[in-house]
Amino acid sequence: MTGLKKYILMRLISLVFVIFCILSIIFVLVKFLPGDPTAIFVDSRFSPEMIDMQKKLWGLTDPLWVQYLSYLKNMAIFDFGRSFFQIQPVREIVLEKLLNTCAMMVPSVILSVVLGTILGAVAGWKRGSKFETTMVTTSLFLRSAPSFFVGILVLMLFSYTLRWLPSGGMSPPGTAAGFWQTVFSVGFLKHLILPTIVLMSREITGPILLLRSSMLEVKGSDFLDILRAKGLSEAQIIKHATRNALLPLVTYVAVMTGLLFQGQVLLEIIFAWPGIGREIVTALKDLDYPVAQACFYLMALTILLMNFIADLLYGFIDPRITYN
Amino acid sequence: MEMSGAGRGKSARVRKLSFLHWPLESLKVIFQDTLGAIGLIFLVIFIVMAFLAPMVAPWGPFDVVFNPDKSVRRLLPPNPTNLLGTTNMGMDVFSQLLYGSRIALVVGFFSAIAGALLGTLVGLFSGYYGRWIDQVLMRITDIAFGIPILPFALIIISVTKPSLTIIILLIIFFLWRTTARVIRSQVLSLRERPFVWAAKAAGASDLKILFFHIGPNVLPFSFLYMAIGVSAGVMYEAALSFLGFGDPHVLSWGQMLNFAFNAGAMRNAWWWVLPPGLCLSLFVTSSFMITRAYEQMINPRLREI
Repeated sequence: MTGLKKYILMRLISLVFVIFCILSIIFVLVKFLPGDPTAIFVDSRFSPEMIDMQKKLWGLTDPLWVQYLSYLKNMAIFDFGRSFFQIQPVREIVLEKLLNTCAMMVPSVILSVVLGTILGAVAGWKRGSKFETTMVTTSLFLRSAPSFFVGILVLMLFSYTLRWLPSGGMSPPGTAAGFWQTVFSVGFLKHLILPTIVLMSREITGPILLLRSSMLEVKGSDFLDILRAKGLSEAQIIKHATRNALLPLVTYVAVMTGLLFQGQVLLEIIFAWPGIGREIVTALKDLDYPVAQACFYLMALTILLMNFIADLLYGFIDPRITYN
Repeated sequence: MEMSGAGRGKSARVRKLSFLHWPLESLKVIFQDTLGAIGLIFLVIFIVMAFLAPMVAPWGPFDVVFNPDKSVRRLLPPNPTNLLGTTNMGMDVFSQLLYGSRIALVVGFFSAIAGALLGTLVGLFSGYYGRWIDQVLMRITDIAFGIPILPFALIIISVTKPSLTIIILLIIFFLWRTTARVIRSQVLSLRERPFVWAAKAAGASDLKILFFHIGPNVLPFSFLYMAIGVSAGVMYEAALSFLGFGDPHVLSWGQMLNFAFNAGAMRNAWWWVLPPGLCLSLFVTSSFMITRAYEQMINPRLREI
């Protein structure tokens, strides 16, 4: 097992190193952003002493390396300071938005993976059938259509023309409630349908195509012949085959989830969903830099973490992989 | 464009593997695959559209269309004068669509070619020389992989002025990383092959081996990622423009969608929303089909045989 432990350690070190570099890049970038960070709380009519005092309060007079170190420390403990615009501290704002994004993403991911796996496995098993060709062609088309256009189309059709479903937001307007109360309400479900359809239409294609090609490889395996000789039914054999075909899917899901976080910016804007993607866009437009910085950091962190988990899972699940 | 033997009959002459061998060969393969052929046809249509835009488009992309009585033709559905209707500012949608195709092609091809080139170079040097060059370049690629594309682009564009150049540079920055990794793994396996040893024994310098022996063999992958890059590049430009971070001087399809969305046109002006979106989808889909057909050629495991 020492090979595995060493592999995990190497990946962990690499992860920390990359996070550190990205944090530094963000720090440098934010320093170059236009706009004076003191403009919000310092009026030009203040006396020079007052301005100096304010600057000292916010640590803006410290030498650059001191700012850098305290920045690193804050990022590590997730202390993001206060927003330039909103009253809450940044950490609360960003956390809430992150949860909202997850609320949109998680149902789609689960549904896509479950349905996609089944459809893909069947498609791969029934090689050459009409079902398979339809699945593949539809998946290819769905996969390449830009998701934000599909979102606009769906909105135009179901919300504006047919008026079946709400056109945006996470819950019916006027219902101010905590996260968990919102999520378990009926209004939320109605608002969830359209974004989920759009997300799923794209995300389901991944597992379908992946499972299909994976299944094609497994189908020729010897162990299936033995199972058939044992007298198992076709359905049971498919189940066994699918289990072996699942390996690439595991890493795919982990990576896909990480990537979804940034792709959702567009969908969140279209559906006016108060998630972290929309937050970073509005924060940048409003020049609310603490929020923008925190959002970016969390997004990068999520992607890196999911990649790291994918690497780990890949190591654990396949006993054939060895490390040296 | 010397093809030395290729396409000149079934002679058994040994063919020199020129740099142009692969693209022409791949064109043949793409036509054999139905979806790839459809994709290629659409791409050609877009290229023609882009070239003919200044001649065919009745107005410029930002020109306001007036009635004879000097009133502005706002938000009109398709009519004989404005084939695809007008925007809320009175601009002709059809003309905008045609000019948008130019942007799509420019962004797509420039960023794809540059990105694939950069990625290939990085992959070649990293894979061949190994050791510390490899480590350094791979660490940089790792960091690039960890940065979320869209948010990073948003921040950079907030720092600098929004311009097409910046967007193209950003896309190149992100296209390079996947190409580099794939090319590197190819080079790693190729450099142990006998033909490389033979070249070394014959006294070829490292650079010569890289570019004349290993290089042509990784070219298929470079082209593959270039094809992927075209669709990815156009998508990112559209996404950035749609979010409002695009170049305001330039009218891309994403920019059209941005204007339409902000004007609330989704509720009724389908003629403004659907054409750019459809063009985007078609462009990306056709590039994707071409990519897939090409991928089937270079990766035998994917073949539908």
